[in-house]
Amino acid sequence: MIGERVERKALSESMNELNQNMRTMSELAEVALRSATEGFASPDEFDPQGVFALDREIFGLREKIVRSCVDIIALHAPVAIDLRTITVSLETTTDLDRIGRYSKDIAEVARRIKEVPAARRGAAPEGFSRMAELTKALVRQAVEAFLARDAEAVREVDRADDVVDDLHDQLFEETVDRMVKRKMPVDVGAEYILVNRSFERVADHAVNIGLHTFYMVTGQRIRTVGKTHTIPREDGPIAGGDTTNPSPSP
Amino acid sequence: MRSDPTAPEPRAPLPPMPPAKLRTEKLSAWYGKKRVLEEISLNFAPNEVTAIIGPSGCGKSTLIRCMNRIHEVTPHARIEGRVFLDDQDVYRQEATSVRRRIGMVFQRANPFPTMSVFDNVAAGLKLNGVRDKARLDEQVVKSLRQAALWEEVKEGLYAPGVSLSGGQQQRLCIARALAVEPEVLLMDEPCSALDPIATAKIEDLLFDLKKQYTVVIVTHNMQQAARVADRTAFLYLGKLVEFNATRELFERPKEKLTESYITGRFG
Repeated sequence: MIGERVERKALSESMNELNQNMRTMSELAEVALRSATEGFASPDEFDPQGVFALDREIFGLREKIVRSCVDIIALHAPVAIDLRTITVSLETTTDLDRIGRYSKDIAEVARRIKEVPAARRGAAPEGFSRMAELTKALVRQAVEAFLARDAEAVREVDRADDVVDDLHDQLFEETVDRMVKRKMPVDVGAEYILVNRSFERVADHAVNIGLHTFYMVTGQRIRTVGKTHTIPREDGPIAGGDTTNPSPSP
Repeated sequence: MRSDPTAPEPRAPLPPMPPAKLRTEKLSAWYGKKRVLEEISLNFAPNEVTAIIGPSGCGKSTLIRCMNRIHEVTPHARIEGRVFLDDQDVYRQEATSVRRRIGMVFQRANPFPTMSVFDNVAAGLKLNGVRDKARLDEQVVKSLRQAALWEEVKEGLYAPGVSLSGGQQQRLCIARALAVEPEVLLMDEPCSALDPIATAKIEDLLFDLKKQYTVVIVTHNMQQAARVADRTAFLYLGKLVEFNATRELFERPKEKLTESYITGRFG
């Protein structure tokens, strides 16, 4: 064994396929969010069917990834970075699936707003376009960090999420204020509140992806203490054996 | 106000490493001029299973053979450094007394071929001067029960030991080692010749045995180390690379070399 080169080709091939599927799923979630936000910005020209189809595609891919993770665990007993990649992929598929589902929700709102006569709708509060841009950028950042195995990006992602959270609160108040002052019909205002909430949740899922990535790369679970997300862990730290000898080179 | 997201989570601490039952201090070993172990310092906790893993030829079997002074039986073999059992240097004691306190089970089950099941287990006791029939009976039954073999052999105690299956023979050897009431049990790849069911029986047995003994197991089967060991040491080219709680070592090894070895991507 010593001196021989071993690659575990079957495991490596399965891991490559998993990583490729995760890349595709990330891209589909991003496209779904982009299409939905475009539809929300310009509902009159929007056909939501594309986003609905993407949501179904994302869900199907999630099922496929979960199956492949189970296969790898059953067949290859992965450990260390392989194990962390698999557990993080399983966790991240949930976040990406949720991003797809919120994109569908936004697309449905756009479809309903389209049916409201333009004169009755009233203008959306200005901050919505910024909210959409920030959320898309946040998802992009988290997905890039995941694909590039960049642990440190979680700091930036978390900071950007704070901005999204503040904007969410501001938009909520502004929308309610417009409804109270009868500048916006209640049914339309309710749709804006739904979309506002969807953006905020999407941003939270992006932060989750950043946190998972940090664990995948470093092996250390971290959490953010924020308004919405905390990842509790009950297990303990490294239990000490002493490694008193320096590592030999391979 | 949020905390730094990359601050580690507060985690409930695991119990610290208890005082060692057995430990090596800068232990090196040679076969002739060939050095096979380089200054290994390791602690083995009581009531735990410690696994030693590493590629063939890394010195893991030699390490445990040094602990109960079997290494020195090989011609031209020698050691430097120290091995302590309860803080007493085993190389300053009678070798036979050390081997009674530190029992060993080998890779291939090696029951005495001319002896019955009963005599195999009683052999160590007889060597130690036990002649009392009632005491022998009692100790043989107790050891066979501890080795989870009693139910399978109680009707055939006087059949030849070698008539048992491979897995039973290995448990017979474990019973033989336990009969002299050792404090430490060293196991050198005890399942490498066994099928999965016999292996599972031995692994279940380890789970029970560690409640009473300090167990050290050498294995080239990493999944076995992960299943049975509380702590795991990884040896490479005669050196200790990493020693940690098994869960930590297999989830997030500290050393790149450990990671390469346990993920099976080497060289």
